[in-house]
Amino acid sequence: MSTTVKKTVPFKLNGKEVTAPEGMVIIEAAKQHGVEITNLCYNRNLKPFAACRTCMVEVHVDGKKELVYSCTHPVAEGMEVTTNTQETDRYNKACLEMLLVEHPLDCPICDKSGVCPLQDNTEMLSLKDGRFEINRRNEPSIKSNPIIEFYLNRCIMCGLCVRACDETQGVQALDFHKRGMKVGIGTANGEPLDCEFCGQCITVCPTGALMDMTSSARGLAALFTSTDTTCNYCSWGCSLRLESKKGEVLRIEAHMEADVGINQSNLCAKGRFGHGIIHNDQRIQTPLMNQGGKFKEISWHEALEIIAERARSTVNRSGPETVAALGGEKITNEEAYLFQKLFRGVLGSNQVTNLAHLRAPYLNRFLLDCFDNGIRSKPITELEEADVVLAFNSDLPSEYPVGGNSVRKSAIFCGADVIIANPRQVVFHNESPVDIRLQYRLGSDAWVAGRLSRILIDNALIDTAKVKAAVGNYDALVESLSPYTAEETRKHTGLDDETLTRAATRFARNADRFILVGNDILDSGQGEATLDALLNLAILAHTGGEGSVSIYPPREHCNSQGVNDMGMTPDHLPGYLSPEDPAALSHLAQTWGADSLSFDQAPLARDLFENCATGKIKFLYIAGEDPAQSFYKGDLVKDALTTVPFLVVQDTFMTETAQMADIVLPTATFAEKDGSYTNMSRHVQRVAAATLPQGTSKPDFDIFLDLSAALGQAFDYSSATEVQQEIERAAAIYKGMFPGSRSLQWAPEKSGERPGFRTGKASAPAAAKDGYPFRLISNNHMFHIGTYSQYAPALVEIGPECVAEIHPEDAAALGIGEGDRIVVSSEASQVEVPARLSTVSAKGTVHIPKNWPAVPVNRLRNGEEGPVSVRVTRAG
Amino acid sequence: METDNAPAVAEEAPEKEIDLTPVREILDNLPGPERRYLIPTLQKIQNVYRYLPDPALKLVISKLGISRAQIYGVISFYPQLLIEEPGKYIFKLCYGTACFVKGAKIIADKIYDSYHIRAGETDKDKIFTLQTASCLGNCGAAPMAIVGDDTHGTIDPEKTLELLSSYRDRKDEPEEVEEAAQE
Repeated sequence: MSTTVKKTVPFKLNGKEVTAPEGMVIIEAAKQHGVEITNLCYNRNLKPFAACRTCMVEVHVDGKKELVYSCTHPVAEGMEVTTNTQETDRYNKACLEMLLVEHPLDCPICDKSGVCPLQDNTEMLSLKDGRFEINRRNEPSIKSNPIIEFYLNRCIMCGLCVRACDETQGVQALDFHKRGMKVGIGTANGEPLDCEFCGQCITVCPTGALMDMTSSARGLAALFTSTDTTCNYCSWGCSLRLESKKGEVLRIEAHMEADVGINQSNLCAKGRFGHGIIHNDQRIQTPLMNQGGKFKEISWHEALEIIAERARSTVNRSGPETVAALGGEKITNEEAYLFQKLFRGVLGSNQVTNLAHLRAPYLNRFLLDCFDNGIRSKPITELEEADVVLAFNSDLPSEYPVGGNSVRKSAIFCGADVIIANPRQVVFHNESPVDIRLQYRLGSDAWVAGRLSRILIDNALIDTAKVKAAVGNYDALVESLSPYTAEETRKHTGLDDETLTRAATRFARNADRFILVGNDILDSGQGEATLDALLNLAILAHTGGEGSVSIYPPREHCNSQGVNDMGMTPDHLPGYLSPEDPAALSHLAQTWGADSLSFDQAPLARDLFENCATGKIKFLYIAGEDPAQSFYKGDLVKDALTTVPFLVVQDTFMTETAQMADIVLPTATFAEKDGSYTNMSRHVQRVAAATLPQGTSKPDFDIFLDLSAALGQAFDYSSATEVQQEIERAAAIYKGMFPGSRSLQWAPEKSGERPGFRTGKASAPAAAKDGYPFRLISNNHMFHIGTYSQYAPALVEIGPECVAEIHPEDAAALGIGEGDRIVVSSEASQVEVPARLSTVSAKGTVHIPKNWPAVPVNRLRNGEEGPVSVRVTRAG
Repeated sequence: METDNAPAVAEEAPEKEIDLTPVREILDNLPGPERRYLIPTLQKIQNVYRYLPDPALKLVISKLGISRAQIYGVISFYPQLLIEEPGKYIFKLCYGTACFVKGAKIIADKIYDSYHIRAGETDKDKIFTLQTASCLGNCGAAPMAIVGDDTHGTIDPEKTLELLSSYRDRKDEPEEVEEAAQE
């Protein structure tokens, strides 16, 4: 909730005394009291518009009668609202009648049939036959882009798509064109749609004028089987509705109901159009065994026997610490739990980890630090009622597109301040009255955050006495902030202090603040320092300011949070208990029905790949992860995977990592399994199967059960629910978290017990290397995440090619034109890509998305922690 | 790099290079970069170029912070605003009620027969652009048309063709027409 408290006003609705928040429009207030008013153009996420004129109601204020449109007229104290009077029905009906003069009644082949507001309203107003002669439009369907079809004959000019594109998405790719009888929605001059392809326009379209071309199905949407589940791409964790027919998932839609999921009916391109990974011929069909570089198909039984035998013999011969597991950040909580249980409980090895933890073990520590300081962070659903949003090194439209939707909504309806701190001049159109951009020099993240904290203290924007009393090491913080003067900050970040002060002042006011931290900070070389600095900033506002602070650790994939929660790290048991804590171990042993558990072994998984490469780890089991492509130490991973004596990889597609395995197991996609994902704000959300696993593939869940049986200690679960019950016992933080259809945010029982700032020494950002004057920025493309999305044909169609972005002035100096092929080389490697010139990239930087296997950007980094120094030259 | 690109560049070359200095001046003299100044800005630009060249629109888009779809939404709303270079003469034929009943439609058809242009179109010699207007405020002289600054009242189909011919054959401003007329 925003800190602005709205008054509740009493009014009368159809004779009944009811209340609603002041300023709420009648249609919404009525809906909350169970009264549906006809309408075609109202959407609670958008500003009132009044295009369709079918929502008229009668109101009496001070005895005076008025006929008003309920989608624009707010409720007021003492107002008497009457819906569906004879008079309003007559007006509403007439408008609908006129729409039906033009609207084709091709319902049997319409995508919206059965879920069509036009049909519903016609029914609600009992409109049987119109008085007017039918006069249909007959314009051809427009298919000038690969994803969204415009069939404007069905358009009723409600403007929902135009408004969603503008207000929700901030893209403004659509508008009304021409006027009068010829009016139509469309792109500039009929040019092909060139946008973020979020598909929000399809969701809001009430009539099927805009259609999803990635779906082969047409007609009677109401007859599809709907499965409510959670998206498997980024960590925002949107609720999805998979629509299937005859066992085939045909398309993905958003929930339209309020309060379902954290995304409030918004989706992005990946979530909506990325379903091509489900029914896909490129999927691994059967278990495979590597015989001298060639893969031979084997049976499940054979494969599991080989793995079990090898695991057992390795443990016997070399000790349990030589078998290790790498859990993908896309497996479900239940799968991650079973995976670590298989290793800890059955094989006796604590060597389990995941890529994010390998890269940045401080992420989990940061999360726990927040709790220690009493910062529990609000559910991310409340982002749309935020007062201040600080997007820190996160390109929202690419990283958290749906998060961007919530921020825009908070800007419109709550007047939220938007502060964007990023080394790129990222595009984020919004209607915030205060939109502050801090475009700082690449690699100086920690300085920006540190300076903001210091301004808070120096300018007494917060109650420092309160902070000093509450947090023991306040003086140490003040001391550690001494280098962050305006002058030094300007030197390192390139930011002037006036803008920073403005940002700090807005941040410090009485507000509900949300800090969204991007995964890019991990590449800054100052990831840990930056998170600590942001934590300090959050503690200052939390303790010394009014309102609230919410901050979440950066998480990349759909279950990056959950795999850590489930103890898929060598440093934590499920629920962040320590594997060195005897009480925690005995609790876990008790839950598992084991006599005792102890892991008195070297922490080999902390440097998993190094230990594979040196031969210390002899058996590596990777579930749903492709480190060869995604890990930042490319060469090391290759070395590790070729050296490790036995490698099992289970995945849906034949990734570069899978190519190197001894045994490959085919797994099911998210649409074929049950379980849960935990998003970046710790919402535990349901994953539900919409179809049966393709071919002989199996959910990771089933594979782990089968493997436990092959190892002679069969896990006795018949469903994901039973595993969830065990997780609730093993990890206290997950008690009561497992969702039905609504998601819950886990939080520890106690927090704020050990407040303390994290202080460290300020370090200046590293300078570029000699001979390599440019710095590389590499992150997820708007239409892709990891390399997984490359298997979704629709996403490849809209994001076909990896393009490097450089500043036009740099390009001019190098003689590079738009579209020219360039070679970007670092000390370690080089890639060749076409160039795009844009001022979004700062001078001296080059931005290349990391999602194309053919452009191995992580090889350029090859283990380097900070911004990679590169050279840019024209190819050829 | 292959040299295949060369002919493509050559083909684009005949596109007239547009001097955008006046657009920059117009934009610099705006009271502020706000959307409410869009329509006057477009009118001023059109007064310079007689239409709205795409490179000029791109400058307006970046200055006023609106999208391409939105600017075209405004332009397509007003028939007065043109995105293609019109013919030398804009023939505004009144389609108001009085002119319409007195045969404006017949005149439009006659023009189409001779010049193959409908409302909003330009003939192939780039001499005439036909526009229809809802009412030009001279109903007493219906049907009527305006060409440039000249008003022509009580016209009929035959007179209209004569009128058009007289403009076509005019030599007062040869520099612009010359090229086109020779084709």
